[in-house]
Amino acid sequence: MTEVIATNETILVVGGGISGMTAALEAAETGKQVVLLEKRPYLGGRVSQLYKYFPKLCFPTCGLEINQRRAKMNPALRILTLAEVTSVEGEPGNYRVGVHISPRYVKENCTACGDCERAVSSEFDDEFNYGLSKRKGAYLPHRMAHPLRYVLDPRIIGSEDAEKAKAACKYDAIDLDDSGEDLTLNVGAVIWATGWQPYDANRIQPYGYDRIANVITSVEFERMADPSGPTGGRLIRPSDGKEARNVAFIQCAGSRDHNHLLHCSRICCMATLKQTTYVADAWGDDADISVYYIDIRAIDRFEDFYAKVRETTRARFIKSKVAKIEENKANGNPVLHGVDTEGYHRYANEHDLVVLAIGMQPSVPSDQFPVKLALNEEGFIEPAPENGAIFAAGVASDALDVNRAVQHATGAALKAVQVVNRVAGQEA
Amino acid sequence: MADDKKFGGYICTGCGIGERLDTDQLEQIALREGKMNLCRQHPMLCSAEGVQMIQDDIDNEGVNHVMIAACSRRAKVEAFNFPRVALSRANLREGVIWSRPDTEENRETTQEKADDYVRMGCAEVRFMEIPEPSGEQELNKHILVVGGGVTGMQAALEVAEAGYNATIVEKAAQLGGHMAQVYRRVPTRSPYVDPQDTQVADLVSRVMSNERITVYTNARVAQSSGAPGRFSVEIARESGETLNGSFGAIIQASGFKPYDANNLPEFAYGKTPDVVTNLELERLAREADGGPIKRPSDGKEVQAVAFVQCAGQRSDKEGHLPYCSGFCCTTSIKQAMYFKQQNPGCDTTVLFTDLRTPGAPGEDFYRAAQRKEVTFSKGEVSEVVSADGELRVKFKDLILNEDTEMTCDLVVLATGQVPNTGPDPYAAPLEAEDEEEEGGETAGEEATPQVSVSVESILNLDYRQGTDLPHLRHGFVDSHFICFPYETRRTGIYAAGPCRRPMDSAQARDDAAGAAMKAIQATVHAAWGQAVHPRAGDLSFPRFRKEGCTQCKRCTVECPFGAINEDEERYPQFNEARCRRCGTCMGACPVRVISFANYSIDTVGQQIKAVDVPDEYSEKPRILVLACENDAYPALDMAAMAGEEISPWSRVVPVRCLGSVSLSWITDSLNSGYDGVVLMGCRKDDDYQCHFVRGSAMAHERLSKVGDTLQQLNLETERVAVYEVAITDTKRAPQLINDMAKTVDEIGMSPFKF
Amino acid sequence: MSELNQQMIEQYRTRFLQEVEANVEEGEWVKMCMQCGVCSGSCPLGKHWAHPPQEIFMMIRAGKREEVLTSDSMWMCTSCYNCIVRCPRGLPITHIMHGLATYAKRLGLAPKNQPTAKFAQLFWDNLVKKGRVNELKLGLSLYFMNGFGEGIKVAMKQQAIGLGMLRTKRMNPMEVVGGHAVKDLDGFHKMIRKAQELEDARIKQNAG
Repeated sequence: MTEVIATNETILVVGGGISGMTAALEAAETGKQVVLLEKRPYLGGRVSQLYKYFPKLCFPTCGLEINQRRAKMNPALRILTLAEVTSVEGEPGNYRVGVHISPRYVKENCTACGDCERAVSSEFDDEFNYGLSKRKGAYLPHRMAHPLRYVLDPRIIGSEDAEKAKAACKYDAIDLDDSGEDLTLNVGAVIWATGWQPYDANRIQPYGYDRIANVITSVEFERMADPSGPTGGRLIRPSDGKEARNVAFIQCAGSRDHNHLLHCSRICCMATLKQTTYVADAWGDDADISVYYIDIRAIDRFEDFYAKVRETTRARFIKSKVAKIEENKANGNPVLHGVDTEGYHRYANEHDLVVLAIGMQPSVPSDQFPVKLALNEEGFIEPAPENGAIFAAGVASDALDVNRAVQHATGAALKAVQVVNRVAGQEA
Repeated sequence: MADDKKFGGYICTGCGIGERLDTDQLEQIALREGKMNLCRQHPMLCSAEGVQMIQDDIDNEGVNHVMIAACSRRAKVEAFNFPRVALSRANLREGVIWSRPDTEENRETTQEKADDYVRMGCAEVRFMEIPEPSGEQELNKHILVVGGGVTGMQAALEVAEAGYNATIVEKAAQLGGHMAQVYRRVPTRSPYVDPQDTQVADLVSRVMSNERITVYTNARVAQSSGAPGRFSVEIARESGETLNGSFGAIIQASGFKPYDANNLPEFAYGKTPDVVTNLELERLAREADGGPIKRPSDGKEVQAVAFVQCAGQRSDKEGHLPYCSGFCCTTSIKQAMYFKQQNPGCDTTVLFTDLRTPGAPGEDFYRAAQRKEVTFSKGEVSEVVSADGELRVKFKDLILNEDTEMTCDLVVLATGQVPNTGPDPYAAPLEAEDEEEEGGETAGEEATPQVSVSVESILNLDYRQGTDLPHLRHGFVDSHFICFPYETRRTGIYAAGPCRRPMDSAQARDDAAGAAMKAIQATVHAAWGQAVHPRAGDLSFPRFRKEGCTQCKRCTVECPFGAINEDEERYPQFNEARCRRCGTCMGACPVRVISFANYSIDTVGQQIKAVDVPDEYSEKPRILVLACENDAYPALDMAAMAGEEISPWSRVVPVRCLGSVSLSWITDSLNSGYDGVVLMGCRKDDDYQCHFVRGSAMAHERLSKVGDTLQQLNLETERVAVYEVAITDTKRAPQLINDMAKTVDEIGMSPFKF
Repeated sequence: MSELNQQMIEQYRTRFLQEVEANVEEGEWVKMCMQCGVCSGSCPLGKHWAHPPQEIFMMIRAGKREEVLTSDSMWMCTSCYNCIVRCPRGLPITHIMHGLATYAKRLGLAPKNQPTAKFAQLFWDNLVKKGRVNELKLGLSLYFMNGFGEGIKVAMKQQAIGLGMLRTKRMNPMEVVGGHAVKDLDGFHKMIRKAQELEDARIKQNAG
């Protein structure tokens, strides 16, 4: 049984991505008791799957390292992974939150030595790499994973592999009878930081993501650019492993579209600008980059980055929502059809690889919140007093980039601190 | 103090350590050479039983200095958490067995590496002291907010809501700032369809009636000094009255200045009153107050209005702002709605190049405007001409690809925000005694000549390194960190709102909450005597041996956070609550008098000394690697996890920041027979990744002169290499070490072996 | 140029967008376009358009009244609905194109001898006569749309199909004489007349 001490002065943070970690750490470093829930087996969320950040082109791993170090060193912070909220009842200063913890089958005494992984043979799509590679049935999600503990895929439970993994563990860290558990936490305030998921590219039918091998999403391209990713950082196209030198980026893939997501996902323009640098860095003068866009939203000081990218990557910017993509069957090249609206130029452009700058949608669908919250039409949580002491942080509140998500989460931490301070009677 | 130390060494034999290494030998080394009072082995030290074994020794044997030889210091941190105990970690797993091949011919060198790491771990812990909070401070629950606009008011209310007190200092006669002049604001709640009340009046009344908030209008900060937890601030009022206050932390919410549209004669600004800025339009809208908006020249009701987006922005022309101000697209949309609400037939055209309305609220608001028949044209405006009581806006229609023009009654220029910040401490050469290249480098890095920035100080800090928050770019005092947007380079002082980054009022209010969080946190940390981010919880702080100090001032100049002042006798004054504990001062000190309780010239120097350096004929070189613990060290760990081989000759010592590296460590190691030294810090240029901003840059600068030292020693300059290493360099970092091994192989062993 | 056209010009002056909104079927959607161009790129007949839909929308907003209404572009629309399906703003582009075409025709601005326009007229005339399409007559009038000689040529070319249809009773040669009508043809005509009246009244009102 997981022992969690939680009281009306405890802050519960739901979601362990960059926003949730930030909110949790800021509150915990101010001396508040914090419980952080994460659905995945490790912290870091989507940013752990990014290669670089815009506009500095620095590495998210760096920030993850420091945040994880903060987490490891802070006794006021309790982290529960594989945990999801099932119910929320109560009022500000006094919530009862039902939490379901799925089995990891690996106990805390795991040393991450990797013997179980070597012992098993089953393989599954690696979700960390968006299925671009395989991982074993016993696995460490990634090298920076925190907690640094292995996980058994539930699909191997009951199989011979599970027994092999157990037998291989010298530390008796594998518990095949782990059935998860349900907890009820008493907390004073809740920070909802459940983040986003990439929009399902299959639904954008004209772009043929489901039928053209060399049409991929921006999140996949990000993994591809990462030297520790599925291709070792080589920009190659899925169909034939050919080097992808002529790369097209399609903006608003799913965003700003009443057929898909009504909102602008904000990050995609900047993410594309960043990704053009991957192509330019990989191929130098041989890089041939096209960006198909409606508006380039390099807002406020990101304009500098836009200017720098235009200068250094020599990317072409075409104001056009691509109408459809067909495949040149002879060479596997995607062919983009559409109209450059600046002066009406019809095109049928062939590229090695097409990257869909995929939109971000809230992780939790509007009808699946375990608690009634004021949501907008797009499914983001509104800054509404009627939400009581349940505060959105980061992308749960709107489509935000990392920097803005962290700003927002820091403010959300304060909102929660205010509530538990009131509970503690510290106002006096 | 030394007498009270009792040392316990603990060696884990799990994770393959026991199989790969002779741990009995390690135990003997810990006891005999490492001078541990006791040493124990455990098959799984991080298990509850293993931890209990150590805890028992602490409780029963009086052990207060613990050396753990097991996995990397980055692993099992939670398990090996013993409060009030000095702890060192010898990295046998990632540092030795995982980064060396498991073959017979490597067994000897692998064991030797492990032996050395145990020696180093023992040496480090022997010279560590247990950091004690100075205990000089108590919790100061009073936050100073500089600026009484929307950001400042919101910050004060957030602070008060958390049970703290706030004092607002506002230079104008009234609270409200620019937003007080605004007619309606962009909606902040769904449906994002119509302009809303600005809520400024409500904010003002909430601020004025809050008993935790004190407001001084017509006032400014005349002087501020001290540190988090004890900022002493002199507030000067226009009346001549001066007040003194003590504050735990400071929020700078000094806002923006409207861009001076007189720089835009091409748009007829100043030539006709019918060309107005977005802020000026708000005044017209307020005057109209729901009635028809009239144009200033002759009071005619406006029937056609054009909004020129990016006026004087996103442009490298002289006098223009190079950045995008972020708020202007939604502001023009809102203002177009002013006209439409009163007169749906009014022609409202927004001329833009990229319409920037991100997120759900932004895009909804854009669509709402279209529904109200606000016209959006992708066009570049070249000129506005005033003639015959009409304005002609000449532009290139980028969609229809033609030069065209439209006529209207009023033109609104969507002009930007210029940050209202104090002078950048690093914009000009620091002071006469500073070396030229240093001043030159900072000036080059920070200067943005196009933007006219106020030179009047906002904070009037009495800091050695200047009166105000350092700028990032274009005069904004933003943080450089994506993951840590509130980290300024002045501890306990946080910027919020448009002085930090261009933004609208909704963002500014969110921003105020974030800055208030950090301000409250800074006061709490100051009271605890702990460092704030990125070494939150660290109780150590720099101390110096006064008698050894030559008053050279290197530490006061190099501190990336301007933490160190000089006292009346011209000795450094460390202001511990301002200190981030990076150790750059320690690295800067040529006479080695600065140290931290648990991180000092000795804790590293003795590790270097403890390594067994075989003689010249052994063909076993020794390479010292000083690796930044934030990026390079984790990169080496992850390289080991990935099975990358790292030279058997290398001995890696993690450092807090490359800035903390003392040249003495390098000269001492070379003098004692090391064959090469590799230094790994973080990226240091404009896009620096150093967690301590300038630490890595300072180190690189100091080390640029290490070649002279080598030449004096008659050593090849290749024996010392300095690199910028990122945390993702899991292949490159081992390679750099292996390259040094190759270099040593080529140029031969050091002649300084004994 | 019709009188109605003059009235409309007076009425709306530079505000072509408002004119379209008031008088063109689904015209109120034009303002919602964000110029992404997906409609233009999606049109299978795209390359035959002098001005694709997104550009027409921009021209409307720019007040290019005559250029738009005299254009043959919107007559190119074959109602494939690709644009509607893909438009991110949900504009009923197909309908707007037909609406613009109809409006242009009503004002007498539609291009002369535009084949789609001609066909549309034939179709309409054929349809209103009996309340249903007389396929045989429509086919024939289509063949002879561009003159007798060409009509014969086309008819010869289509001969095999025609015979096939006769054989399988898909076409009744007797339809060429009169042809059968819907039930209550009178009622149908009344309905059409009423609709026409309403439409005329609306337009007249808009014309001031």
